[in-house]
Amino acid sequence: MSETTNEPWVTVSELAREKILGLMKSDSPSDSALRFGVTGRGPGGFQYRLGFVPGSDLAADDRVVDAGEGLRILIDSGSAELVKGTAIDFIDGPDGAGFQINNPNPLWTDPLALSIQKVFDDEINPQIAAHGGWVSLLEAKDGVAYIQLGGGCQGCGMVDVTLKQGIEVVLKERVPEIREVVDTTDHAGGSNPYYRPSKGGRSPYS
Amino acid sequence: MPRLLLLISTQSYRAGAFLDAARALGVEFTVGSNRAQALAGLNPAGHLELDFRDPNAALERIVEFSRRHPIDAVVAADDDGALLAARASRALGRAAHTPEAVAMARDKLAAREAFARAGLLTPEHVTVPIGDDPSSWAARVRYPCVLKPRGLSASRGVIRADDAVGFGAAFRRIAAMLAAEPPRASGEPPIDSLLVERFIPGEEVALEGLVTGGALETLAIFDKPDPLDGPFFEETLYVTPTRKSEELQREIHDTAARAIGALGLGHGPVHAEFRLNAEGVWPLEIAPRSIGGLCSRALRFGEGESLETLLLRHALDLDVRNVRRERAASGVMMIPIPRAGILRGIGGIERARGEPGITDVRISIPVGARLTPLPEGSQYLGFVFARGAEPEEVEQALRRAHQRLTFDIAPV
Repeated sequence: MSETTNEPWVTVSELAREKILGLMKSDSPSDSALRFGVTGRGPGGFQYRLGFVPGSDLAADDRVVDAGEGLRILIDSGSAELVKGTAIDFIDGPDGAGFQINNPNPLWTDPLALSIQKVFDDEINPQIAAHGGWVSLLEAKDGVAYIQLGGGCQGCGMVDVTLKQGIEVVLKERVPEIREVVDTTDHAGGSNPYYRPSKGGRSPYS
Repeated sequence: MPRLLLLISTQSYRAGAFLDAARALGVEFTVGSNRAQALAGLNPAGHLELDFRDPNAALERIVEFSRRHPIDAVVAADDDGALLAARASRALGRAAHTPEAVAMARDKLAAREAFARAGLLTPEHVTVPIGDDPSSWAARVRYPCVLKPRGLSASRGVIRADDAVGFGAAFRRIAAMLAAEPPRASGEPPIDSLLVERFIPGEEVALEGLVTGGALETLAIFDKPDPLDGPFFEETLYVTPTRKSEELQREIHDTAARAIGALGLGHGPVHAEFRLNAEGVWPLEIAPRSIGGLCSRALRFGEGESLETLLLRHALDLDVRNVRRERAASGVMMIPIPRAGILRGIGGIERARGEPGITDVRISIPVGARLTPLPEGSQYLGFVFARGAEPEEVEQALRRAHQRLTFDIAPV
């Protein structure tokens, strides 16, 4: 059963609440709620979903936060612990305006995932950033690291070299519990691959 | 444990297939590529940056690298690494096609002359310097004819002309293309002249083979059921096994073997193209490499082994005798680029995948990319794969799947 809470599971600043309610009023029916949750982990930390849904779009195990002034926030059960204590603010400064999410939780608590994340943060992501790419850990389970590649790596003609001669080799060496790396990336969806294949011609990237 | 050097340029479609093959064999491998790899610094023994356009320097690097990490075989994934692989193999004392044979096979004129010397069917041809006035040649050639840059591969710049006006237009178009090409590396076939040859009517087939000690083993013969009559020669469908008679298949094999002998190709893969008509089997090209693009996925051998695994085993002198392609029919469609423009989207992919017999649809150009069709272009939109009991079934599945696809291309 969904649980409504008044404890500060997620807090929303006054300005952020005003902006959210303003957007909701102009874009969505009056009974709408804000759906908030974690969709993944990227090089900058957690990746979030933030969008309006009908108030009735409530799963049995959702956590419902009353953020005041009629703003209800729906948090899926998978995200609840990951966003506990998060503060949503709205910043309007010289660099632009936008929502800011301050989440105090660590990306991972599992020691294996933490070890992998450290390799990604310290060794791999700084290198592949030179090609506009990044790698994210989705899950570490039973000796398998499930990963996703993005940016210049997504759809890159040489992504297998990066994966099999780089990420796998380094990861297995630094985290011996890992015996397999599974790439779950939708490479067909890549819009800006660093290297593109061609049939015997001269690629503009060559 | 043996170590392979895999020469894979950043334009290759086949990095994954070769790396998987090396893994399957349990060998150490190093990827030699023409551009820096993102994680090369973290695995120095696994990467070697090589300038494919400076083969002497590249060769020196390979030899120096092999002193620290002994190399047992050098394999090129594609055409652009074939000559360097041959030179490196010679320098390291490994069995492979010789550099001279590879250079001859990659030069359309030299190959034609070798085929003619060997008594193989060869169309009448002339060489025309790209700086010449095309009108003087237009009056001298017989029509229909085909103009081909000597040193480009994959049908790039190949145009049929049916009369003098068409000849002039084709000549100027190819000249503009060649003017934009980067300079050739030493040993590369020249791009300062065209081969102009009589158009040979007829069906085309392709042969995939392995040469060991000069002897050809045919791995597969593909039918190419879409007519290739020009004006451009974009390849689309490959279906195997061929539906040609056993007698004709023997003739195709024998012609390939003679052409391979004429070029001096001694040890390694070959991908050969032929025209068939009442006069016989015409060798068009014997490339010193395996089939390109993602097309090798249409081939499986023995217990499901990939073509790349077979090639690596061959390069490592492991036994590949009597390897047989699977019994099922199989095929691939290289999705043609319908027109120039910016790719906005491709629809119907899931419907195409859902067609009976279709095993995969792979799109290899990202949305937002600029599309350039043949004769100037050098990319496929993607690949459709099918399998079935009979070749006809496979062909029809590929055609149905292609009909499901829609292409949203915005004008440039």
